[in-house]
Amino acid sequence: MRVTKGARIVAGTALLAVAVAACGGGGGGTATNDGGGSSAQPVRVDIAKPQHELSPTNTNDTSGAEVLNALFVGLVDYDKDKNVILRGAESIEPDAESKMWTIKLKDGYKFHNGEAVTAKSYVDAWNAAAYGPNVQEGGHFFSAVKGYEDVAPVDPDGEEGPQKAPEPKAKTLSGLKVVDEKTFTVELAHPYSGFKTMLGYTTFMPMPSAAFDGNGGIKREFGENPIGNGPFKMAKPFKLATDTTISMVRYDEFVEGKAKIDAVEFKISSDKGTSWNELRAGNLDIMDQLPPEAIATAKQELGDRYIEQPSSGVGYFGFNARNGEEWAKNPELRKAVSMAIDRKTITEQVFSGTRVPADDFVSPIVAGYRKGACVECVYDPAKAKALWDKNGGGKGPVSLSYNGDGGHKEWIEAAANNLRQNLGVEVKVDAFESFAAILDELDKGKVTGGFRMAWIMDYPSMENYLRPIFGTGGSSNHGRYSNKDFDELLVKGDSAKSDEEGVKFYQQAGDMLVKDMPYIPVYFYQTNAGYSQRVKNVTIDPFERIDLAKVERVS
Amino acid sequence: MGRYVIRRLLQAIPVLLGSTFLIFCTVYALPGDPVMILGGERRIDPVLAAQLREQYGLNDPLIVQYWNYISGVFVGDFGETFQGVQVADLFAGKFQVTIQLAVTALIIEALVGLGLGLYAALRRGRWQDHAVLALTLLLVSVPTLVSGFVLQLVLGVKLKTELGIDFFPISGTEAGWRSFLVPGFVLAGTSIAYLVRLTRTSLMETLRADYIRTAVAKGMPRSRVLGRHALRNSLIPLVTYLGADLGTLMGGAVITEAIFNLNGIGQQLFQSVARRENAVVVGVVTVLVLVYLLANLIVDLLYAVLDPRIRYE
Repeated sequence: MRVTKGARIVAGTALLAVAVAACGGGGGGTATNDGGGSSAQPVRVDIAKPQHELSPTNTNDTSGAEVLNALFVGLVDYDKDKNVILRGAESIEPDAESKMWTIKLKDGYKFHNGEAVTAKSYVDAWNAAAYGPNVQEGGHFFSAVKGYEDVAPVDPDGEEGPQKAPEPKAKTLSGLKVVDEKTFTVELAHPYSGFKTMLGYTTFMPMPSAAFDGNGGIKREFGENPIGNGPFKMAKPFKLATDTTISMVRYDEFVEGKAKIDAVEFKISSDKGTSWNELRAGNLDIMDQLPPEAIATAKQELGDRYIEQPSSGVGYFGFNARNGEEWAKNPELRKAVSMAIDRKTITEQVFSGTRVPADDFVSPIVAGYRKGACVECVYDPAKAKALWDKNGGGKGPVSLSYNGDGGHKEWIEAAANNLRQNLGVEVKVDAFESFAAILDELDKGKVTGGFRMAWIMDYPSMENYLRPIFGTGGSSNHGRYSNKDFDELLVKGDSAKSDEEGVKFYQQAGDMLVKDMPYIPVYFYQTNAGYSQRVKNVTIDPFERIDLAKVERVS
Repeated sequence: MGRYVIRRLLQAIPVLLGSTFLIFCTVYALPGDPVMILGGERRIDPVLAAQLREQYGLNDPLIVQYWNYISGVFVGDFGETFQGVQVADLFAGKFQVTIQLAVTALIIEALVGLGLGLYAALRRGRWQDHAVLALTLLLVSVPTLVSGFVLQLVLGVKLKTELGIDFFPISGTEAGWRSFLVPGFVLAGTSIAYLVRLTRTSLMETLRADYIRTAVAKGMPRSRVLGRHALRNSLIPLVTYLGADLGTLMGGAVITEAIFNLNGIGQQLFQSVARRENAVVVGVVTVLVLVYLLANLIVDLLYAVLDPRIRYE
């Protein structure tokens, strides 16, 4: 054997290094046992990974909102019929034109560190969210408040231009004023009767003085270990980058009464199919969204413990009515397309019943939704064909665009087949590689025909389904629909004396959409949730958040 | 010997620089604006978008962005993600998970692959040999997605709910080394099949060699013939394969990590490519290139141990 001694030593050392690395790794994994050891296991809730650290100001995703909802309580909440009910607020009163709102707080709410929740807790948090340089996801929610353009100025030459966005003129919103310990006023930029409905979202929750860095910003540590005013408090800090669980324990002094369960653990999972297996094996208690392939089995195996209810999402086809293909510019032809799509089969076959056919421009979860409001959303191939031919629809080609990264291929193809069969046209299906890419092309007006689009509400009001998408210059008006009468009806709705009166105007605006069909609603999203035998009283709100304070253990 | 190792390590530097630059360009060239992708299905506020672009230097030309990144790496700063997380912190926990998974997979692969290959070679032409070959076909043809979920359902859910045996966790890493057994096997699946076939062929060839016949003829014990002469001489292609496979197992575990909810580097890489997070993607690639280079170096050095005729100067 003439192996050089050096080679042996080097190879040996290298192998040893690999082995040590492997063993070293082994230690880390086993360390996480059930730490507390007090009573039973915590209630384990499945979530996807939150987008950001846990700060109300910087959360705009369902997982983050779910977690924060256990830690914080805001001014209002929503009852079973999606009506606004007061929670942290004693009263929320508008002036005569719904522009100046006075908010009074209830006594007794405290942060987990003992600090009382005051008007300042709200005003400071809202100012921090809105202040442009803080780069918070929730910032745009405050664009309705007076002074928003001074704290978050717009880049003068657009996003692409060389100039930077100017320095904000002010650090705080001029529309927010603390009156006394328990009262503050909000002045809006424009009258808006539905302002109260906005306030239930995570962005509007109060934050303790410990959260702020003294410079108008939010401390980084706060996002890892948030101090809330809700039924649960953090058991240990959460590191977004590496942690796979978020642990909370009950906050015993919660003024609305102690939660029924003593501990909650959010488990971050990457695959809903896996989470479903965990639920079946009893390693998980609540899943707020089941994977489509599990729905049939879940109905059988869970029985009463399976929840199915509408959620806020609406799926559409939009059209380039400005400079697109001829058919896309003609409202009658768009109606023909709408009637040629078999929504029922698509939602049942392609989505396994996790979506339902759309019959209005707004989701069933908001007040003002009318069943069957969109008359041309009903499948009627004969009528569709007649309408198409009468208005000179011709042979196409009809192009439909969608983003290939969101699992939309199957239903777009199904809809395309509907059009081919029922209208006798040539259909071209274009996949863009991402949602961002399709938005780019839409901005440039380069998408020629129809395109897939969806909307998830920011707050449960009809207005939120109308203005951003169809209002002139709306932030998500990708079809560039513009109708003066429609805009006027929205303004009338905003300045109405009451919610009910406002809804009437919004519904009239909705009727104009049915007439013009700038988009065609295709399906409503649904929440398909399930829970284990160990818990009961699981309810889910319009923002897809679980009310964990009400969840009980089955003993 | 020492000089050889140092020369190899120095050669790694241009390889690293070149590969990181290539990857940086590739991610840069991907269509879609990272800031808009950050918004997902929602539209990002233009003010917010402009600020994010400024903050992450996305308005700079490609070469400036690369320089900003790589000059940071030299002083130990791997940059941060769009969510403001330090890439170095991100890696700490995730590479640990991935290394555990890859090493478990490699051990399973080596044990099962070599074992079955040896068995098949010794039973050449008999039914056991055919059975092993059929098994490898099965391993190659079942996709990870299927084998992962089937094994998860059978070993994780059914074993626990039907028989009360709670040995294989369904997902996660709470159960320590046991957590990696099923994912390790799933990840190694295809590689096992190749290794079985490679071992079988390589060993069968060696067993036909003259020196084996001589060894048997002079009455050497069978175990010594097999272990000392046959196996050792067949090992060179197998070690080469195993060495190269370590890198593949570490970088290619996207699906396995997702199915078994392992918070590792594969998933991170997938998300970061989707989000156009150059700092993370390039960082991961840098580490993977290092793993490949080191594994190859070890393999080359092992050649000298296995075959005395090979020497490095």
